[in-house]
Amino acid sequence: MAIDEAEREQPVDIDPLLEAIEYCYEQGWTDGLPVVPPTPALVERFLAETDRDPDEILVRLDNFRRTATVRQIAVSAAMAGCRPEYLPVVLAAFEAVIDEGWPAAGGWQSTTGGGPLLIVNGPVRTELGFNSRGNVFGPGFRANATVGRAMRLIILNVFDVRPHELDQSTQGNPGKYCLCIAENEEESPWEPLHVELGCSPGDSAVAALHTRGIDFIDNRQTADAHHILNDIGDSIARTGTILRAEKRIGVIIGPEHAQFLAAQGMTKRDVKEYLVENAVRWLGDLRRAGKDGVRPTPSNAPISTGSMHGWAEPSGSPEDAPGWDQRVGVLRSADDVLVVVAGAPNAGVSAVAQPLGFPPHFPGRSVVRPKR
Amino acid sequence: MADTILLERRGVPSAAICTEALQASANAMAAIQGAPGYRYAIVPHPVSSLDAEGLRAHAKLAGPQVLEILRGPGAGAETRGDT
Repeated sequence: MAIDEAEREQPVDIDPLLEAIEYCYEQGWTDGLPVVPPTPALVERFLAETDRDPDEILVRLDNFRRTATVRQIAVSAAMAGCRPEYLPVVLAAFEAVIDEGWPAAGGWQSTTGGGPLLIVNGPVRTELGFNSRGNVFGPGFRANATVGRAMRLIILNVFDVRPHELDQSTQGNPGKYCLCIAENEEESPWEPLHVELGCSPGDSAVAALHTRGIDFIDNRQTADAHHILNDIGDSIARTGTILRAEKRIGVIIGPEHAQFLAAQGMTKRDVKEYLVENAVRWLGDLRRAGKDGVRPTPSNAPISTGSMHGWAEPSGSPEDAPGWDQRVGVLRSADDVLVVVAGAPNAGVSAVAQPLGFPPHFPGRSVVRPKR
Repeated sequence: MADTILLERRGVPSAAICTEALQASANAMAAIQGAPGYRYAIVPHPVSSLDAEGLRAHAKLAGPQVLEILRGPGAGAETRGDT
């Protein structure tokens, strides 16, 4: 009792903490939300969770004349609200973001306004509490929310890519605050993404896809595999997302849809190949949107990042002019389709992650390196 | 913006053309590249949706600015930061 009374008489003074949070705002270090003040002692607790040298340079981006060290990533993770033991995942996530290739190619500054979608696989999901089931895109889960947020704080503070300055995004999108999911490996009928990319099931890994927006597909009307995939394909080929002839796509299939597809004998590869054939628009649809200058690239033609192929003026033809029913595909290859399973098995809901154009390396990926 | 600054550093006379709407990021990139105040040609926004006639009109606006940058006192790496 005596201790309790003493505590009541001496309440913790939180004013210095509140002042530190305000100080971080004044320095321009936040994404608009409060950050955890990264005191040296807190950052040291993060650095104790990795064997890596705090001064190790993870990347040098000449377009920003900036580098990023392990310590800078730890500071960002602390500010984002991560727990110290998340640091190896944050490091892998950052490496995956860099691996995708967009940061060195102008993706962070683009008017298109994307941000990194992170996909976490492997045992680290359960060890650290990443959500892979209901509300997978949020909210409510510290690991997802803070690891995703750490990427934005890195972009803002380590690379100085800020709105109204270097970041010339026209509208941005909510995913620029944080966008981090885990794959629901337990309720997926297929091999997890990191195994597909060459890891062993016992590894943990992060994949990254610079994403402009998440579109939902709600189809509870049918269990037919082709119906479901045609519906997903319609979102993939939405005219508003067609900018150039070639694109890559992320498909986040809900467990209910995934189980229907697998029950009808479809492998993950089958799903990808079906979408390549059936994510299409009629030429009349493209004429209607002024985008009939966008024409498919031959599947054997080389693709270069930032290619302007297919950026042509509209023909001016009426939408119902002859040829309107020509199918125009928006995907070239099954290798340009990423499929993961995430969400709860409680409704026929899936999603499409629309990336920025044709990511140079698809998806970006890195293995989580736990402390030995 | 970075491209023309880096070209000039390698001794290649260069001029960037930017629309009014993108000046803030152009200026920020110039500062990052160590060339605050780097001079470039400015045209109205937008460009990508222009037809051929609109593009010709933009080119007429940009042309004299580009020539002035390349020929005038603003040309060359030694004059970065002159505005």
